[in-house]
Amino acid sequence: MSTEQTEPHVPAQRTEEPDLSAAATASTRLLEVEDLKVHFPIRRGIVVERTVGHVQAVDGVGLGIDSGGTYGLVGESGCGKTTFGRAVLRLEEPTAGRVRLGGEEVTAMKGERLRRFRSRMQMVFQDPLGSLNPRHNVDMLLSEPLKVHGVGSKAERRKLAVETLDAVGLPKSVLERFPHEFSGGQRQRLGIARALMLRPDLIVCDEPVSALDVSIQAQVMNLLDELQDEFGLTYLVIAHDLAVVRHLSDRVGVMYLGKLVEEADSETIYERPRHPYTKALLSAVPQPDPEVEANRERIILKGDLPSPANPPSGCRFRTRCPWAEDICAEVEPEWREAAGGHKVACHFDL
Amino acid sequence: MALLEVEDLRVAFGASTAVDGVSFSVPEGKVVGLVGESGCGKSVTSLAIMGLLPKGRGRKARQPVLAAASEPVGSGLKATAAAPQSIAASGGRSRGGADVNGRAVFDGTDLLSLAPAAMRRRRGKDLAMVFQDPLSSLNPVVPIGRQITEVLERHRGLKGDKASKEAANLLDRVGIPDPTRRLKEYPHQLSGGMRQRVLIAIAVACAPRLLIADEPTTALDVTIQAQILELLKDLVETEGTALLMITHDLGVVAGICDEVNVLYSGRVVESAPVRELFARPTHPYTIGLLGSIPRLDLPIHEPLTPIRGSIADVIRWHDGCAFAPRCDRVAAPCVEGEPALVGAVHAHRCVMAEEVA
Repeated sequence: MSTEQTEPHVPAQRTEEPDLSAAATASTRLLEVEDLKVHFPIRRGIVVERTVGHVQAVDGVGLGIDSGGTYGLVGESGCGKTTFGRAVLRLEEPTAGRVRLGGEEVTAMKGERLRRFRSRMQMVFQDPLGSLNPRHNVDMLLSEPLKVHGVGSKAERRKLAVETLDAVGLPKSVLERFPHEFSGGQRQRLGIARALMLRPDLIVCDEPVSALDVSIQAQVMNLLDELQDEFGLTYLVIAHDLAVVRHLSDRVGVMYLGKLVEEADSETIYERPRHPYTKALLSAVPQPDPEVEANRERIILKGDLPSPANPPSGCRFRTRCPWAEDICAEVEPEWREAAGGHKVACHFDL
Repeated sequence: MALLEVEDLRVAFGASTAVDGVSFSVPEGKVVGLVGESGCGKSVTSLAIMGLLPKGRGRKARQPVLAAASEPVGSGLKATAAAPQSIAASGGRSRGGADVNGRAVFDGTDLLSLAPAAMRRRRGKDLAMVFQDPLSSLNPVVPIGRQITEVLERHRGLKGDKASKEAANLLDRVGIPDPTRRLKEYPHQLSGGMRQRVLIAIAVACAPRLLIADEPTTALDVTIQAQILELLKDLVETEGTALLMITHDLGVVAGICDEVNVLYSGRVVESAPVRELFARPTHPYTIGLLGSIPRLDLPIHEPLTPIRGSIADVIRWHDGCAFAPRCDRVAAPCVEGEPALVGAVHAHRCVMAEEVA
């Protein structure tokens, strides 16, 4: 992928703020992402490929997660949340920006150093069947990360696999079984167990429960909670379901078309959303209560997500925003602190 | 009498029973929900009503009715039509076909006993269906305009310009901007929400009296889901269409349904008017489902109370309550024979309900 810079580098808007608090938070801040960008080139041509534009999947996102905390990233399909999660883990090459995990700059690492460092950051995928090799039994699936990183002897790896299985609520007897023999919920437990095998600091959970039935979703969410306490994990949870994110996270960021539009503590953002998009999202989530449903006012957004290859000028949300005015098309709203720890990118105080 | 009365519907695929005696009714201008998790038989129920299941060995000589031109067919159901005569003669295994028994009375006619040709005349006209995955339900190599006019030609006899004009009207009605241009586009050129709108346009093209929507918003984003649910609500209110809503999402149920039937392992375990169901859930499965959903309007660290085990842990209804292996209230009477569905307006299938209440 292209790493060339096609536009002048925009200085990160939020660099002033961490410097002051850096000393105080250095011990607790595990992940620090600054102005991360991932642009995918659009190529045309048969013999000679020319780059005719860029899909700005992630366009300047910065956030921080404290050790032992959970950051929830929400947004609709196509907003860039998955690409962001992958770029944090260097599974996608960032175009610009910095990612620091435990003080070490992940974006500056290369080759063997990066490969070794990967043991500290793992991922849980959405589709548990698609992310488990169908020809590997559970023993092989769980031992593989240890083998890759040269951890332990065969017997030790097996012992660790059994311990981890126990932690995710699966019996030792499943070691010889293959992914197709499990139910969806059990497969997701395996996916989580695999991510845990190297005892990482950070786990990026990309839509960890969306493929599961409701009653199983709750089991997996509770499991993630328990494991966080047990192993001292830090999570970046990426999901489209606001209720799931609220339940799992301490801090929530809302993404729209490659940018964060709002960020706050999870309690605050649901009680007092400040960005029109967050308001619309929250009002669109159906609540399992007919009384609430009958009385609520719904903000129905018009139209679909614009193309991230050619985002609207000014505020990216303005084409669908019920409150949009002229200024929204002209000036990009700055990422500002609206109240203590509550950040929003909107011209208005809604 | 309601527009659609389903009585004791049973569907079996060979030895495994998917739907085990389901009864409910859908009155005109009302939205009735079938709720449950994967494998509970909710989709099979809808396909059976529409006559879209491949034929098994049981019942009268009904041909597989998958070739109907007017509506899209869910993927994976094709090509499973067994050779009916030979299997019926041997009385042996059915090869992938479904044995459908019971009645589905639509406006006085039992749909399940209709001949395929008669069913084809009704399907798409009197009753229509919206599927979950709009991309695999639309023909990828045919422009969407053609897919809509096909229904109009077949059932309403509209041709040429008249049909195209009506198709554009329909697209406009389901909220697709610039409908005349869109008619020439192919499904892959549309977004997920638009495809679902096209599917709804096809379904309502002949102003059906009954619309079956099988997880119509599951594949969509929440803001688009809100648009589609508004559209469906509007149809029910303005046209008096009866809507059978099949979903796993209790939030969607709370927002759109008037009556709800909760399915578990092929049977209705609880049925009630929507407010009643949410105010006083009685069956432990319903209670468990409600306890499993994180809610936006409750305190943030309210712990979830999931149902333990998985849908694979069942016993046969014949031997007791199929939910017993996962139930927290399970007691001896639960596994002593079939629990009956008791109650009229708010009915439940739990022998322990009275003790607890």
